[in-house]
Amino acid sequence: MEKRLLKKDKLAGIIKNISREMLVYAPVKEEDNVLFMALKEGREPLLDFSNSRNAPKTFFFPRTEIMMKYTRTGKGMELSTGEVEVREAVLFGVRPCDARSFALLDMLFEQDKYKDPYYIARREKTTVISMACVHPPYSTCFCTSVDGSPTSGEGADILLMDIGDNYLVEFITSRGEKLLKYFGDLPKAGEAEETLKKEIAERAEKEIKSHIPAKDIKPILDNNFEHPFWETIHRKCLACGTCTYLCPTCHCFDISDEAKGSDGIRIRNWDSCMYPLFTLETSGHNPRTTQKERWRQRVMHKFKYYVDNFGAISCVGCGRCVMYCPVNLDIRKIVEDIAKL
Amino acid sequence: MLNPYIPIPVEVVNIVTEVDTKDIKTFRFAFINSEDEANFKYLPGQFAELSIFGKGESPIGIASSPTQPGYLEFTVQKAGIVTSTLHDLEVGTRMGVRGPMGNSWPIDYLEGKNIVVVGGGFAFTTLRSLIVYILHKDNRSRFGNITVVYGARTPGLLIYKDELAAWEARDDINLNVTVDKGDESWKGREGFVPTVCKEVAPSSENAVTVICGPPVMIRFTLPVFFDLGFSKENIITSLEMRMKCGIGKCGRCNVGNKFVCKDGPVFSLAELDKLTKEY
Repeated sequence: MEKRLLKKDKLAGIIKNISREMLVYAPVKEEDNVLFMALKEGREPLLDFSNSRNAPKTFFFPRTEIMMKYTRTGKGMELSTGEVEVREAVLFGVRPCDARSFALLDMLFEQDKYKDPYYIARREKTTVISMACVHPPYSTCFCTSVDGSPTSGEGADILLMDIGDNYLVEFITSRGEKLLKYFGDLPKAGEAEETLKKEIAERAEKEIKSHIPAKDIKPILDNNFEHPFWETIHRKCLACGTCTYLCPTCHCFDISDEAKGSDGIRIRNWDSCMYPLFTLETSGHNPRTTQKERWRQRVMHKFKYYVDNFGAISCVGCGRCVMYCPVNLDIRKIVEDIAKL
Repeated sequence: MLNPYIPIPVEVVNIVTEVDTKDIKTFRFAFINSEDEANFKYLPGQFAELSIFGKGESPIGIASSPTQPGYLEFTVQKAGIVTSTLHDLEVGTRMGVRGPMGNSWPIDYLEGKNIVVVGGGFAFTTLRSLIVYILHKDNRSRFGNITVVYGARTPGLLIYKDELAAWEARDDINLNVTVDKGDESWKGREGFVPTVCKEVAPSSENAVTVICGPPVMIRFTLPVFFDLGFSKENIITSLEMRMKCGIGKCGRCNVGNKFVCKDGPVFSLAELDKLTKEY
């Protein structure tokens, strides 16, 4: 793995240079929000930001995507295109929690037997440049409770860490190394920077204030699908789905058809286990009748089922669901309460 | 990479209205491309997404058997958008099929055993696939006795009537067809499926029950088989849930940590006991 040192004032220029040759998504300020957007000529990427409001999973698993197109023929509607068309892209400025969500989503979308060609095509053509959280940005950050770290490079191709005058640039994967040429002839990082990195990483972890027993609740969930506790969390939930839409690891989707005249598309859209219609069957039967069952599903899916199926908690501790829930439901409190059952 | 979301093109080659209420039809599809047929390797108990561009998809059990090459059959009740559109289709229309999906009836496990098939209403489709598969001359000797109990509310609601008559004429299958209430022309048995199972009383010796039907039928039939000495490992059923992708990604058909679409739909009662009661 190549480790180089980059003068801090050079970074924005490098990112802009890359964006002249390929599509670059970078955090930019958009009204009150920090959002990942395509970097257009004349636009500055944010280098100093907390985190984006939306999770960057959308670049691999878009909120809406066309799966195929079809057209009317004499024999009915027939497929016209099913090609997955994806452009080479760079995703710059991803926080380690969000980058880790890509590694978690890979487990699902790249399973041995059932592969998702849309997700995989984007993943293969996108280089992820992460920006370590030298100072974790929010009091709601809890990445260290779910196997993450504010300076982790998991899920990233290149990891940048602010070490004072320089960024330590780690080219983690071969895909990341392909961008080396844009960085110019940088000095190699040495022992001193390695030591500095360790110190910064340790300090950053200590700055995380929120700790939850996320890894302890699996055995409790294993045995408490039926428990009065489930009656206690959902009552104020509005079923708005904000938590699942902002979540970097939520992956549920709906497939639907839109046809007009002789042409149509089959699209997939994000869906949410928080919605009553999510599991409603044509017969009228709904296995998850109330918000109680839906909340149980959400908690179980993240902290038990994903662990059963893939060996990892499906939560990266970004805190978005905590920050943006309109009725202040807090997954950290729920996990703490479950640990006490 | 093969795209599992793209339907395989098929043509509707035959439509049979199965019941006198006319809301259950069997559709026969032929593959447009012969290589698609060669790649579509399935076993009884599996399902496929029936795909109509402009309308959507619906997961339906495969009613034909792999011993019937050249086509696929699905028996479908008219219920929602996709199935209603399907019911209005004419022979010659092209549409799509995605699959085969899910696991199958456990053919390897059933080999060498006596098999009791219990079906109710139109949930007889993948059971029909199984029966046709077992009765095929290349397969029949691999299985023991076959006892079938199949019931519908009225004679007009029995599906696959021609096949039932053909099976009735064979001596290597013990067929027991019943209706809740007969009519003036009905000469067969009357009685609910659980009662008939009790009367037929198949031995649990080296036997497996494969059961599919409305929940109320299953609820009252299971105790009969427990009384006959069938273990939960040897009572096998198939679940239904709302599905979209069919390959364990879209996240809605799970029961506990299992997805009905890819880990099921076939489960033994012993396996279901280990899952959460959420179906």
